[in-house]
Amino acid sequence: MATAQNLLTRAVRRVRREPDLGFGVALLALLLTVALLPDLFATQSPLAINVDRAMEEPSASHLFGTDDVGRDIFARVVHGARITLSICASALILAAALGGSLGIISGFLGGRADMLLGRGVDVILSFPPIILGVMITGVLGPKTPNLIFALTMIYVPVFFRIARSGALAEAGLPYVEAARSIGVSEPLILIRHVLRNVAPLILVQCMVLFPLVLQIQSALGFLGLGVQPPTPDWGAILQQSKDYILLAPWMSAFPGLAILITSLALMLVGRGLQRRLDRR
Amino acid sequence: MGVYLLKRLGASFVTAALASIVVFLLIRSVPGDVVGQMLGQTNDPVAARALREFFGLDQPVWRQYLTWLAKVATTDFGVSWTRGQPVFGMIANALGVTMQLAFSTLFLATAIGVPLGVMASVNEGKTLDHLIQVFNLLGLAAPVFWVGLMLLVGVSTAFGWSPPLMYVRPTEGLGENLSIMALPVLSLAVLQAAAYSQFVRQSVVAALGQDYVRTAIAKGVPTSVVFFKHVLRNIAIPLVTFMGLILIQILGGTVIIESLFALPGLGRLLLSSIESRDYPVLQAGLLVVVVIAMLVNLAVDLLYRVIDPRVRLG
Repeated sequence: MATAQNLLTRAVRRVRREPDLGFGVALLALLLTVALLPDLFATQSPLAINVDRAMEEPSASHLFGTDDVGRDIFARVVHGARITLSICASALILAAALGGSLGIISGFLGGRADMLLGRGVDVILSFPPIILGVMITGVLGPKTPNLIFALTMIYVPVFFRIARSGALAEAGLPYVEAARSIGVSEPLILIRHVLRNVAPLILVQCMVLFPLVLQIQSALGFLGLGVQPPTPDWGAILQQSKDYILLAPWMSAFPGLAILITSLALMLVGRGLQRRLDRR
Repeated sequence: MGVYLLKRLGASFVTAALASIVVFLLIRSVPGDVVGQMLGQTNDPVAARALREFFGLDQPVWRQYLTWLAKVATTDFGVSWTRGQPVFGMIANALGVTMQLAFSTLFLATAIGVPLGVMASVNEGKTLDHLIQVFNLLGLAAPVFWVGLMLLVGVSTAFGWSPPLMYVRPTEGLGENLSIMALPVLSLAVLQAAAYSQFVRQSVVAALGQDYVRTAIAKGVPTSVVFFKHVLRNIAIPLVTFMGLILIQILGGTVIIESLFALPGLGRLLLSSIESRDYPVLQAGLLVVVVIAMLVNLAVDLLYRVIDPRVRLG
């Protein structure tokens, strides 16, 4: 009991010191609950069509109104949280794993491998992010795995560079030399020492990049290159509702607000973490 | 300087060439090409073979690439496979629209964002600063296309007017052109103004904490002089870098906004050429985008030297 109280007072003190981080964490916790347990919030089906009640304004029975075929927009937005967020999170994890490991190897090995990988990263970075996304999803076809692949490719260079500079800095430190001198093998040094010290940088970067991934994910959805209807992805909902923008603005307003609020929460948390890392 | 420029251009050239190879391979790596789309259901093998031969699609990919490269070297981008027009002219026309959109946005975003950032930083910790920071956060969090949609709704309910979904060149009618471009530019500029404002605020706050600022204030230099002569000069370099980043961001954002407002710019041309598998247009359009991004980065590097003579390039 005493420890619980202790934890609580510490949490309160922390929130008071960094109110924006506290707000972000609370908002993110709510969004994660929505994503994990959508049925708790939305009682109606996100896919049930009811043409008789098409394009109704927001009301007590349909909080966010209905769309062009009478589906409940509140249910679609709530169920969209899991789809949208899981796509972004998978892409981030893949990008962090791929970019991070390549970056660590590149920075640690140096030489020709480093140069070749660096060149490859330059090529990816020569495209503006959204255009790279449009190119990949457009050519490979608008399917969810392709969308995840596109988002991964866009963010691999960022993780590569961070991990590479982190590994470069670590590789020159005395402890690596010490480990080498007592005969620790190179892969073991990489995994046990370098990776462990670079990992926090990569994790924080994941949070910092999350809102950006969400923006591109929803933009591709909006262009019709992401998740396909009738799946209620936020960007995809906006893609379908934009043609009714003047007739039924609520069809677009709420899914967009969901993206805005989620980005906001992610930005606040990412910034708080970044601050903490910088202080260290 | 000359050697540096040559080296930089050389490296950029290699990257652009590699990027074009990646694009070439990517668009040919998936099943389905322009011939399949042209013939549709008929699927006559004789016609298909003749058409593939005509477009050079029967050749090995590396030969197709070399043929393309040799032509591009003489600024011949070929002819659109679906519209029959020269690619060069199509891209030039589209680029005009995109450039107007991008530079108007850059101008507006700078004009809004920089003063906001300065205002926030000199009022650090006060209400005005908090309000501006809230604007920054909301501006950065809102999806560009959603801002565009909401502006459409707002303008149409407030003034009963919505922009026509067509495009008029500034030379054909400046007033009409501006009324068409206003909302697209505004929707793109909100995000970038927020990014600017946040960046300027951070830079100025950091600069205000520097020793040289304290010294200047201690020796009695008027605050305004300290601000314009010391602080602004010192944030100029990061600001120029940031401007370059913003311009590239805007270039990406135009794809979304052009599609939303039906503007015939480069972004929409790219989207339609991907859809119709019009390889010459797609290939050239992407090359143009990559080259523009590179030129922007090069210009940023060169501007460094103009702003800060201490910077040694090389």
